[in-house]
Amino acid sequence: MDEPSPPPTSRRVVLGLGEAAHFVEDEMPTEAMPLNMGPSHPAMHGTVRMVLEVEGEKIRSADVQVGYLHRGFEKEAEHATWTQIFPYTDRLNYVSPMLCNVGYALAVEQLLDIDGKIPERAQFIRVIVGEISRITDHLTCLAASAMELGAFTVFFYLIKAREWLWELLEEVSGARLTHSYVRIGGVAADLSEDFCPKLREVLRRVRGAIGDADKLLTSNRIFRDRMDGIAVITRDEAIAWGLTGPVGRSAGLAYDVRKDHPYLVYDRFDFEVPVGSKGDNFDRFAVRLEEMRQSMRILEQAMDRLPAGPILIDDARVALPPKREVYNTIESMIAHFKLIMDGIVVPPGEIYSFTEGGNGELGFYIVSDGTGRPWKCRVRPPCFANTAVLNKLLPGLFVADIIPTFGMINMIGGECDR
Amino acid sequence: MADERQAPFAPTRKVTVTIDGHTHEFSAGMTILEACQRVGVKVPFFCWHPGLSAPAVCRQCLVEVKGFPKPIPSCYTPVLDKMEVVTNSPKVLDVRRQMLEFTLLNHPIDCPICDKAGECELQKHYFEWDARSARNDGGKVRKAKVVDVGRHIVLDQERCILCSRCVRVCNEVARQPELTMAFRGDRQILTTAPGQRLDNPYSLNTVDVCPVGALTAKDFRFSMRAWELWATPSVCPGCATGCNIEIHAACNVIRRLVPRPNPVVNKHWMCDEGRFTYQRVHQDRLAAPRLAGATATWEAALAQAARVLGEARASSPSTLGVALSAQATNEDLFAFMRLVSEPLRADRLYLTGEAEGWCDDILVSADKNPNTTGAKLIGGPTLRTAAELKRDMEGGALTTLLVVGGAGVTGPFDKLSSLLVVTSHQGPLCAAAQVALPLAMWAEVDGTFFNRQGKLQRVRPAITPAGLSRPGWQIAVGLGRGLGATLAYADAKQVFAAACEKVTLMSGAEWGKPEMPVQLRFANSRG
Repeated sequence: MDEPSPPPTSRRVVLGLGEAAHFVEDEMPTEAMPLNMGPSHPAMHGTVRMVLEVEGEKIRSADVQVGYLHRGFEKEAEHATWTQIFPYTDRLNYVSPMLCNVGYALAVEQLLDIDGKIPERAQFIRVIVGEISRITDHLTCLAASAMELGAFTVFFYLIKAREWLWELLEEVSGARLTHSYVRIGGVAADLSEDFCPKLREVLRRVRGAIGDADKLLTSNRIFRDRMDGIAVITRDEAIAWGLTGPVGRSAGLAYDVRKDHPYLVYDRFDFEVPVGSKGDNFDRFAVRLEEMRQSMRILEQAMDRLPAGPILIDDARVALPPKREVYNTIESMIAHFKLIMDGIVVPPGEIYSFTEGGNGELGFYIVSDGTGRPWKCRVRPPCFANTAVLNKLLPGLFVADIIPTFGMINMIGGECDR
Repeated sequence: MADERQAPFAPTRKVTVTIDGHTHEFSAGMTILEACQRVGVKVPFFCWHPGLSAPAVCRQCLVEVKGFPKPIPSCYTPVLDKMEVVTNSPKVLDVRRQMLEFTLLNHPIDCPICDKAGECELQKHYFEWDARSARNDGGKVRKAKVVDVGRHIVLDQERCILCSRCVRVCNEVARQPELTMAFRGDRQILTTAPGQRLDNPYSLNTVDVCPVGALTAKDFRFSMRAWELWATPSVCPGCATGCNIEIHAACNVIRRLVPRPNPVVNKHWMCDEGRFTYQRVHQDRLAAPRLAGATATWEAALAQAARVLGEARASSPSTLGVALSAQATNEDLFAFMRLVSEPLRADRLYLTGEAEGWCDDILVSADKNPNTTGAKLIGGPTLRTAAELKRDMEGGALTTLLVVGGAGVTGPFDKLSSLLVVTSHQGPLCAAAQVALPLAMWAEVDGTFFNRQGKLQRVRPAITPAGLSRPGWQIAVGLGRGLGATLAYADAKQVFAAACEKVTLMSGAEWGKPEMPVQLRFANSRG
């Protein structure tokens, strides 16, 4: 017969954190346990799997495994004409599709050597829809993270604000989420006449929602306790790991492609690049909050200075001619036919073109062999590098810290796994 | 023809020519256009064709040559020593654009309803070299839209850009000058010569060479978007010439055959009769094995056929006969010969095929079978003729007959005690057979033919075999198994390899690289 187990130690009600640590260490010695988080887990946005080794609640090691949302974007792109790739880019970072549209279009335009000939109005419209997308991206990130830390009200406020913005993008492009709005050489359709007044009104309401969220979270003790000082990244580490976007900036790395390598008409706008000081989860939250406000500044300036003019380049080898000419002249009819059936012919060459996506530097490395389809269309997804750093950040934290840390890294499966 | 054009200098002489700043060496006598093509410099053209003479009427290939005051047609001008050619100067590009604008001036807005759209040279050159919008909005000169010029061809005079390639095909290839130009200026039209129809046996080549959709084949027009077709390189089965062709098919249906250039067999051409050989592939096919007229499984049909053959071999081997076909591939012939020589030991071997027909000195051969040479080579010297087959059937010298192919085999079958048939089509032969096994056709199988020159050429499958039909060699393997022989072939390539070892004239022959069908929209790009 087995020896009777010793009676459990009598316990006091534990109130203080220090005593809890003492209790765990003293009374419940544990051995490391493997723990699988995801790929299907409510907090693992976009199917990612973490293989953890935990010692009680403490994480001893973490192996973050991506790839569950791999759909072969890069391979698909090799079999599509240059224009047919836009819908695929919508599905990279699916909370800011416009930014992916713009990033891809700029890369192809440089290969075609028409990047200097894009009509100014088209460039302003690209900035406007892009910055709206940046706001929706950050709104989604902050809303979801707040909800996961118990602030469900904030989730409703911010997601509602996101919806107002998406309604506007839907009005412009015809689709709420997968816009496919940008074209090589410009954009697909002009803004409606009352777009700017509508956007101003929406921005006023969004600003209110962000202010509410700010007040509900920033000085909220529960929220701060879960965010402050957790998962600290130093500036040097940010550089070493290739972190960009809000994650890199929260660590003090003041790198923003819009400022450092201006594209479109970003050099004409007055805006700040917020930078964190501690590099913890709260800094990443605060940087995103401020970036939304800066994006709204850009939007207002862009609306004020929006020039009149065409929205698509006047080049029959790139842009579809007006329908009137297609139906009435053989020249435009041929151009229309060739553009639809064979697609744009991009001369042989290679390009690495990068823009500031929702999560950081969104790069497209494209090789053309002149056949009408890309020979290679590689994406540098910002959150691939950002997600990689989780392996280093998580050990030493508690299991509960994974939720805000992963939330603030903002891994977007469509973009990370492509 | 152009190839026979007299070179102005001895062909061995070399000249040094500078093209766009790069110096190259060419054989004297070559034109500037050919020289440009040789070194990969793009020069557009409409009227020039590698198989025809060069009249230099389209003016699309104009280039600048140092020392000449005006741009000159590159398709017509031979290269000379120390010549300096410029194909991309602003002046040349401008002239090219102006010529295209001129050509498009009266061109109808037909792309959405035009059969050539997608493979149209005018579309291609406009997009590549012009791409400007129209400057005129006046009316266009109207011409006849539907002119029935011949048995197989419809002409749209509005679409014609007057390149005269078709006129030269009639004059130089078919040697029957049936087409001509009439009127002048923007009223000029292509038309048939008075009292003539475009009915020569090579008329459909005019459709191939037409750079636009002016000449369209009645057989193909309005049936298919050309760029959605898949092209498979193969060989025409219409006669012993074995013209190299591309089979254009989509969704398992062959839509047209077009010639594939081969300088020693068919140059750039093929006859009209050959173009329609594909129709047989889709007509009256025997889809499933039959036992005494009723549909059966392959297992049952093969077992029954092997039993009948086995009994005949045991009881009366001298009246057991096998009729091979000159329509079959070398692989089918070789596999059945293995069957004949080892387990069957049949005495009587016949060679059948389509009856002789008309011929000319251009491409068409009187022998209407694609592989008579191969059948004689593989069948050996004991082959008897189709006439002997008929006589032996009538005279009762044959009691059991295995027919492979069946072209040209006629009765009286009622004198036979058993008739076994491996054939692709339904018909009297099939109806009379005790066992009928469905045979896959040339466009459905891998294999080789020997043409009349003794050239070994590959056919490739463009579509899957109709119904349950199988390639002949595979049927031979199945029959062999029932007769206790082991013909261990897994695919046509293995049969070919075995044949290369046995057949002297095939030794050292190569099967060739695997070639996947290519969709025409991606032809000349990646597959």
